[in-house]
Amino acid sequence: MTRDHRHGPDDELALRAAALEAVLVEKGLLSTDQIDAIVERYERDLGPQNGARVVARAWVDPAYRDRLRADATAAIAELGFGGFEGATMVALENTPDVHNVVVCTLCSCYPWPVLGLPPTWYKSPAYRARVVAEPRSVLREFGIELPAEARIRVWDSTSEVRYLVVPQRPAGTEGMGEEALAGLVTRDSMIGTGLARSPGA
Amino acid sequence: MGGMHGFGGVLTPGSDRVAEHPWELRVFALSTLVGIHGIGAGSGRAIREEMAPADYLAAGYYDRWLWSTERRLLRRGTIVDDDVDNWVARLRAGERVPGREDPEAARRVVDATLEASPLRPAESARFAPSDRVRVRPMRPAGHTRCPRYVRGVTGIVETLRGMDVFPDIGPYGGPDEAVYAVAFDSDDVFGPSTEGRWTIVLDLFESYLEPA
Repeated sequence: MTRDHRHGPDDELALRAAALEAVLVEKGLLSTDQIDAIVERYERDLGPQNGARVVARAWVDPAYRDRLRADATAAIAELGFGGFEGATMVALENTPDVHNVVVCTLCSCYPWPVLGLPPTWYKSPAYRARVVAEPRSVLREFGIELPAEARIRVWDSTSEVRYLVVPQRPAGTEGMGEEALAGLVTRDSMIGTGLARSPGA
Repeated sequence: MGGMHGFGGVLTPGSDRVAEHPWELRVFALSTLVGIHGIGAGSGRAIREEMAPADYLAAGYYDRWLWSTERRLLRRGTIVDDDVDNWVARLRAGERVPGREDPEAARRVVDATLEASPLRPAESARFAPSDRVRVRPMRPAGHTRCPRYVRGVTGIVETLRGMDVFPDIGPYGGPDEAVYAVAFDSDDVFGPSTEGRWTIVLDLFESYLEPA
């Protein structure tokens, strides 16, 4: 991707980032493997695969769904997820009448334990500016055309509360197990800019 | 930046990835570690807003994190002015970033990312669900979690979220305050739209609100 109007060319930024790392390692304040461990944790261990397990469990287990509604932080912790940017979680269930979509207009707050780090578009001025002011037009860019009667609820993450959208369970998934269902749950469906995939799609 | 015009489409080539360059995730890690080890001063989130607006909009996401991480370290006195510039020169001259291993510390910092302090239960709250509230007109000089686009607008309290430190003082050093999920009708925020009407929900601190 090319980005216009950069602060500096990427090689300059890469150099400055490396210089900062060198300063902190040389001073004995950080070790290289601490940096590697954090990168690995957020690149590999945390990601939408975690949120997908929460959603799939909520689809198949009504008691879990009720706990997720009552206290999402605790219900998500049952599956082993929590920590930074997930201290207070709220689950938002999409229905035929209500479509939830999440943004952070002020920075780019995002539920790291269940979705990992946010994609570039989530952090872009375009998304942050537009999804509150023209949500249908933004959702159309993601390929979603909602029925006119569906009420859109845009959630601006202005406090430390973090949101996980529970997409509607697709038709034709009645016989599917939890793991196969989790495979239908996309990252965007848990932000609200997508829908869960249909089986075979 | 809610409601601002002129940014174009949301999806651009490559925008589906979480980072475009390896250095971005290393900056994410450096910033996180500065927080975990307490070697920086202030809030990265608040400091990033000190960037000049034109620079802020022009910068990539992790450019801002790099900028704020350096400033947190400088303000704490962990690094001094020339430290990073000197290393930039050494790297340009062909030196390599020094390496050091500390596996025990690496395990500890990953564990530290699992810590979380949830909002505390509200002991006293001025507003209750279904109350009509207006966001106070305001123009705070520094960090705030009250976006411009809802100031002066009336909405309905949906939920009392709990208590959290007031972010505008300190920043993140204010007294505990109640936080509410407040729902706004798009007509009241942006006026009539060809898209029809929708709801916008924000989590707002009690001092941002007055009875309506």
